Amino acid sequence: MSLAIPNGLDNSREKPGERAPLVLGDTDYHDITETVCQVAERKPSKGWVIGFLVSFALLQWFGLCILYLLYTGVGVWGNRSPVFWGWPIVNFVFWVGIGHAGTLISAILFLFRQEWRTSINRAAEAMTIFAVACAGTFPGIHVGRAWLAFWLAPYPSLNLWMWPQFRSPLLWDVFAVSTYGTVSLLFWYMGMVPDLATFRDRSKNKWRRMAYGILSLGWTGSSRHWMRYEKAYALLAAFAAPLVLSVHTIVSFDFAVSQVPGWHTTIFPPYFVAGAIFSGFAMVLTLMIPCRKILGLEKLITIRHMDNMCKIILATGSMVGLAYGTEFFIAWYGQVQAEKFAFLNRAFGPYAWAYWTMITCNVISPQLFWFKKIRTTPWMIFIITIFVNIGMWFERFVITVTSLSRDYIPSAWAYFSPTWVDWSMLIGSFGLFMTLFLLFCRLMPVINMAETKSTLAKQIHLKEHGYGHH
Amino acid sequence: MSENNEKKVHGLVAEYTSVDTLLDACRRVRDAGYKKTDAFAPFPVHGIDKALGIKPTILPWIVLACGLAGTTTGLAMQIWMNSIDYKYIISGKPYLSLPAFIPVAYELTILFASFGAFFGMWALNGLPRFSNPIFTDPRFDRATDDRFFLYIDAKDDKYDEGSIRSLFGETTTDYIQTVVDDDSSPKVPKGIFVAWAAVASFSVIPLLIVLKMRVTNSPMPRFHVFFDMDFSPAKDAQQTSTLFADGRAMRRDVPGTVARGEIFTDMDFMTGIDMDLLTEMNAAKAEQLVSTFNNPHFLQDDEEINVEKPEELEIDEPAPPTSESVMDTTPWLKKNPMPIDAKLLKQGKAQFEIYCAVCHGLNGGGNGLVNRRAQKILAATWIPPSKLNQPGLMQDVYPDGKMFSTISNGIRKMPGYSAQIKTKDRWAIVAYVRALQRSQNANIDQVPDEKREEILIEQEEVKQKLKEQAEAEAKAAEEAAQKN
Repeated sequence: MSLAIPNGLDNSREKPGERAPLVLGDTDYHDITETVCQVAERKPSKGWVIGFLVSFALLQWFGLCILYLLYTGVGVWGNRSPVFWGWPIVNFVFWVGIGHAGTLISAILFLFRQEWRTSINRAAEAMTIFAVACAGTFPGIHVGRAWLAFWLAPYPSLNLWMWPQFRSPLLWDVFAVSTYGTVSLLFWYMGMVPDLATFRDRSKNKWRRMAYGILSLGWTGSSRHWMRYEKAYALLAAFAAPLVLSVHTIVSFDFAVSQVPGWHTTIFPPYFVAGAIFSGFAMVLTLMIPCRKILGLEKLITIRHMDNMCKIILATGSMVGLAYGTEFFIAWYGQVQAEKFAFLNRAFGPYAWAYWTMITCNVISPQLFWFKKIRTTPWMIFIITIFVNIGMWFERFVITVTSLSRDYIPSAWAYFSPTWVDWSMLIGSFGLFMTLFLLFCRLMPVINMAETKSTLAKQIHLKEHGYGHH
Repeated sequence: MSENNEKKVHGLVAEYTSVDTLLDACRRVRDAGYKKTDAFAPFPVHGIDKALGIKPTILPWIVLACGLAGTTTGLAMQIWMNSIDYKYIISGKPYLSLPAFIPVAYELTILFASFGAFFGMWALNGLPRFSNPIFTDPRFDRATDDRFFLYIDAKDDKYDEGSIRSLFGETTTDYIQTVVDDDSSPKVPKGIFVAWAAVASFSVIPLLIVLKMRVTNSPMPRFHVFFDMDFSPAKDAQQTSTLFADGRAMRRDVPGTVARGEIFTDMDFMTGIDMDLLTEMNAAKAEQLVSTFNNPHFLQDDEEINVEKPEELEIDEPAPPTSESVMDTTPWLKKNPMPIDAKLLKQGKAQFEIYCAVCHGLNGGGNGLVNRRAQKILAATWIPPSKLNQPGLMQDVYPDGKMFSTISNGIRKMPGYSAQIKTKDRWAIVAYVRALQRSQNANIDQVPDEKREEILIEQEEVKQKLKEQAEAEAKAAEEAAQKN
């Protein structure tokens, strides 16, 4: 079976009155199974092995840095008065933002019956889980005495004799992010069970069969099971969609509920949510473009999928740009001295270099997606999404650091400089993320086979019975 | 087929290659009146519920109940914890401020509802179920790939193999097979079981250790995994520190400030010396003393400080004999400048017992705990503390001012206590030492008449107790000797 796209087969062109095919070529159900399973069943490619070794080494370095931090104390970071929320919080918000696209692609696109989601949702959900794992690490080690992080939980403590303070956005954040992580994990795993059963049934090796057998919980594909499964899946999607919005809203409350100039604004929740979707879609594309090439999934992750995602990036990127403008307008319109100063300081103060990096990457670079040529050329998309990732990291840096480094008392102002531990942890968190993602590519079904087959079934049905009849 | 006949038959299955043929077969089976049927497909087949007559699920109701339970739990938890059991005052808001409780209640609603959907679905589906007769069919592996199967259970009221075979024969299938019992061993492989048992039993060990530590007493100090703030490394006054540019562990007062309760204008009161007399005798010396007190840092800021000195300081001999003469010639204040009353003596007693008694003893007899310990280990450089009731320290030869100065600046091995004890307290100690001196050399006639009786009775009681104690000790010693 050839995996190359047949010449002239381009599903990114709109044909009026006809649905563009989402599965390309002369593909049948078994081809989908083969295409997806070969990723996990063949021997790992050289690229995968090298990528894994590099990621794994970075992960080890991350672990060592965390041990060093726990042993020495949070002073190893660049967090100094007045910037007590340095890179750890920047990294936390960055990763949590990335973590939002996975569930959003899955849940919202599922609810809107956007069938093009089927071939990308699995990898996007996996990305969510791994990004949330990276995100969760940072506040966990940022609490100072990380071994007492369980004090955040509302449990009847024999040491403290008190309860957590439920009026604090930081505690809401604990609940929001842990709920989000849990629900995303359930959603991801549940979606994978039928495909894990496919893996089980194809296993030749006894142990492999047993491992996938346990993971797939004895799934048979019974229609009664499918009926309840689809209901549960739709319900989970319906919960996950507002959850995505609530979680990043609450993350923005960490800032917006405080009194710090530049943070204390009501625009933060929608602005953060748009930014999260923006960065998440960018990260999905950054991962999927090399993946489809290396893993041979071009027939399932098509140009049309990328075209659609680029449009979402264009839309959310413009929203983010609008939010930047609105912030400036409100700072002027509100006529609060401290707010006016905070925003002028952002754009023209000592961190102007970071601010204009952010504007270039987040507002200007996605505008290139107005051109169809760019939206359908993978290497161009890849470069722009890398810019977006960088820009979104800088957005969190600009928000966190510029506001804190110059707030109400000029005598307390200081310039933030990161230490080597800050750098190591940012890079190391990518090690954690990539290690998990590469393992996922090898061990789990990277594409939702069952759903792709059902999309194909519809395609076949339409071909055989014509349009307009259902 | 012959071997299958010996096993229990669970039902009959037929294989299809497309959605349309499967749906067609389903409709026929439903119309033929079979109830205990099922279809297996690699993906959810649109319209199969109707074709097979599957009833809708009650799952949404379970999820609704779980979601409501989540809301209730979230609100009840927060209201109980923050408004009833442990009331927090935050920004002057009421204890029960509902808007602030909404985010967590909302998250818990979603969490519980999701648990309901996830676990409820598996429970209704009867999964996980790892051993299923349908898996014995050799072609069933393709049910998760590209084949569709229709199954009729043997428990169906109308079940009859022959008629079902002919019914299946009318549909587009070329594979019809009975489903039989799984004859593979239901036992878990021994290796897995052993590994599981080993992990389970080893994982209990740390828990048992923690439990033992929690419920038993131990003379050993607590085991600290993390030090937290339990041990703060304290420095002595004369030690060095790397934390400050000047290398001193002891921090000086901020220039131009005076500690609370330490502002005095009377130099006599601060030094214990009659300054008028000293000025007459030695004007230069008096001026130097005044300037020293006005600049309590003793060193000028631009003076260099040698940090690397502590080793030399250790072999410091008692003050040279010349200082004795200074001690004798200085015009000390003869009398304690504080008004002597019961309150002052009580204050002096408290301070004496804190700072002085460890060496000089509670009664000033010179045999405090430190001295006893030093005698016991025969410390070579030890100079025993003075007996405060010796004739040389009485008021007539050792004026109050001199004693005050000794407490403040130290003598021989004794360090100065001006840094630890406030000026007024040092005078209170002087007054108390005078009282101790009188009490140690007193006889009963010096006690006021009304107190005499009381003291005699107390004296008798103490003597009696001492006698009893001595007898008991003697007896114990005798018994011990007999045992040996």
